[in-house]
Amino acid sequence: MKRAARTWNIAGQMPLISLIVLCAASALLTDRFLSPFNLTNILVQSSIIAVIAMGMTFVIIGGGFDLSVGSTAALSGCIASMVMLEAGIAAGVAAGIIAGAAVGLANGLVIAFLNVNPFITTLGTMVLVRGVVFLTTGGAPVSGDSGLPSEFVAFGSGRFLGIHFLVWVPALLLPVLSFVMHATPYGRRVYATGGGREAAYLSGVAVRRVVASTYVWCGALAGVAGVMLAARLQSGQPTAGEFYELTAIAAVVLGGASLQGGEGTLYKSVIGVFIMMVLGNALNLLNVDSYWQRVAVGAVIIAAAAAERLRSRQ
Amino acid sequence: MSRLAASAERVSKRFGATVALDDVDFGVAFGEIHAVVGANGAGKSTLVRILEGVHRPDHGVIRIDGEVRHFASPRDAIASGIVTIPQELRLVPALSVAENIALGDLPVRRFGPLAMIDRARMQEEAREVLAELEFAPDPRAPVASLGVAERQLVAIAKALRRRCRIFMLDEPTAALEQREVARLFSVVARMKRQGTAVLYISHRLDEVVAIADRCTVLRDGRVAAVAARGAFTATDLAAAMVGRAAQQAVSTSLPPGAPLLEAQADGVTPVRVREREVVGLAGLLGSGADRMMRRLFGAAGEPAVVEIGDHKRRFANPVDAIAAGIGLVPGERSLGLVMNQSVRDNILLPNLDTLSRMGYLDRDAGDRIVGELMELVDIRPRQANLKAGALSGGNQQKVILAKWLARRVAVLLLDDPTQGIDVAAKAQIHALIRDVVARGGGALIYSSDLGELARLCDRVLAMRHGRVTATVDRGAALDESKLRSAIGG
Repeated sequence: MKRAARTWNIAGQMPLISLIVLCAASALLTDRFLSPFNLTNILVQSSIIAVIAMGMTFVIIGGGFDLSVGSTAALSGCIASMVMLEAGIAAGVAAGIIAGAAVGLANGLVIAFLNVNPFITTLGTMVLVRGVVFLTTGGAPVSGDSGLPSEFVAFGSGRFLGIHFLVWVPALLLPVLSFVMHATPYGRRVYATGGGREAAYLSGVAVRRVVASTYVWCGALAGVAGVMLAARLQSGQPTAGEFYELTAIAAVVLGGASLQGGEGTLYKSVIGVFIMMVLGNALNLLNVDSYWQRVAVGAVIIAAAAAERLRSRQ
Repeated sequence: MSRLAASAERVSKRFGATVALDDVDFGVAFGEIHAVVGANGAGKSTLVRILEGVHRPDHGVIRIDGEVRHFASPRDAIASGIVTIPQELRLVPALSVAENIALGDLPVRRFGPLAMIDRARMQEEAREVLAELEFAPDPRAPVASLGVAERQLVAIAKALRRRCRIFMLDEPTAALEQREVARLFSVVARMKRQGTAVLYISHRLDEVVAIADRCTVLRDGRVAAVAARGAFTATDLAAAMVGRAAQQAVSTSLPPGAPLLEAQADGVTPVRVREREVVGLAGLLGSGADRMMRRLFGAAGEPAVVEIGDHKRRFANPVDAIAAGIGLVPGERSLGLVMNQSVRDNILLPNLDTLSRMGYLDRDAGDRIVGELMELVDIRPRQANLKAGALSGGNQQKVILAKWLARRVAVLLLDDPTQGIDVAAKAQIHALIRDVVARGGGALIYSSDLGELARLCDRVLAMRHGRVTATVDRGAALDESKLRSAIGG
């Protein structure tokens, strides 16, 4: 039997169209925007947030919310660095990601099984995890006496086929995670749970487990981002990753996901990250005052969400 | 006839593909009780919702006291003296009786720019207005502590305090015992004497004959008949409601086979469903009949002990119940469907396990199943990508049935499955239930429409206070009035 043709609707492509318009405008207003150096810079800046935003997309599609990803990334970066100095790169990377997944699991269990509001829960873990980071590091960057292993540092700045390793990470994760969301029963259950938790429950979906699992994905991906961050900063920085959660949530919403749950697409969230990064980059190149930049970025986020509401009201 | 309080002139309203009201004329006069009757989905509630400013008519005009009005919101309707007592009462359970009665118009004491609630006056006013209803609860008690009938009186008290001129009641007796019905009637009669226009919606034709000065019968969104007191009997109304063309057939029974599911409800008589059998559950709101489905399915309250095949089970959650071959069509369609997901995803949701090929989803097999089922249950339009929320109520219900047909469940539990859907879709859903049963399955159905149970079921269990109190068999002349007396309505 023939698969029904997908309808191409313009409204669904708003994030992509916005990004193209934004890039075109930036290219017209400043000649430096299209320079290879600048474009590479945007890609590298986007890569870490993109990994976090993908995890956030899981949680938001599942009907939740996660404020703790910035702290989790810092924790993972520091733990990865500490373990790496003792037991090698592979163990360090694994420890960092596992630490992130553990924070996600804790979030997920509290939210799904104790029915605590996700906003409150992850606000709590955001502060708590940051505290743990400072306690374990004593507040100082983790880089050992002679720095992190050189291969790891090379991963943070090196390139493969002309593209930074850091950019390869989300580029490889995106198709894999998209497959999970769209081509596995698990992914369909996440969408159903977020779109109508009670209806999904009555259809035989173990909704608590599904909700908890989205936080594990989110935590693990925040862990991956933390390891990338450590590689880029050549150390585990206890203060790293602040405001990452807000940038990631904004990007996911710009990518068309609904905070009601059940709606959202991974690649569109990544486009949302690019929108945020290109906007910041263009404002920089145009020498816009950094205080005004914040005003502009905030206004853009609200405008995008309002436009989305107006569209769905029709 | 005295002056018209509210009227609808040539009013039409459609929702998506469904025509809810089609060129309807209606009027209620001051000092008159005007009943509106009709089958589920005939347009009664839509008419009320237009008059109370929730919906705007697509065509036609609304006049209040002779003047054309365009209500932008229920607020406007309330301001012109229209009060509705809906089936689902709009009270705030956590607030007190007095606060609920005063809500929206709280008595205050002013200290310059400051306003403080005048509690003493609020409670005194509440007491006075409740006394008119011969009802004296503690005005400080939270509404949550009252029973259904008492809550309704609080809602009516709220209307009386507003000195409403047009009073609309949407199936007010659905959850009441006979004694409480009598009290409600005397309240309504008094309001009429005081000159209030009363619009009274009910399923219960004997009530309408007893109380109404005039009666309008709606059928499929059109006015089928209007008659004044004395000019109609319950039989006339029933005939006008159903119409010759839409006369629904009584389904034929099949010889039942082995028991599929047996549950020990709290009563003496167990709930038993056999192969090739449709069993009905009848009961007033709060009788436990409406909750029974979810208990059997492991989705609410303490799970009932269920005997399925040879095993005694207690389903802790729907996952287990579904694995044992049970499917649930819940009462509210928003619980049966994930509205912002596609028809395809909804149909496949309980079937993802069977479509999993080493962890990934077999899309082609899924599309094949969805295509076949959309054809079989006649979901319109035939677009699997359409979001479930965009379908009409009848089609949404067919999607919910399709979910379980794809699994070939042994026992289908249906909780008021045809509530608020049009006559044609209702007939199709009845046929589908009959189909499931003919292929050796069993069905247990709760319905608020006793006529539906009488036509569809081989056997109906009547429930009161959480217990099965009577069984009415097809053999023993199963009909609506028999069921009504069995449930104590």
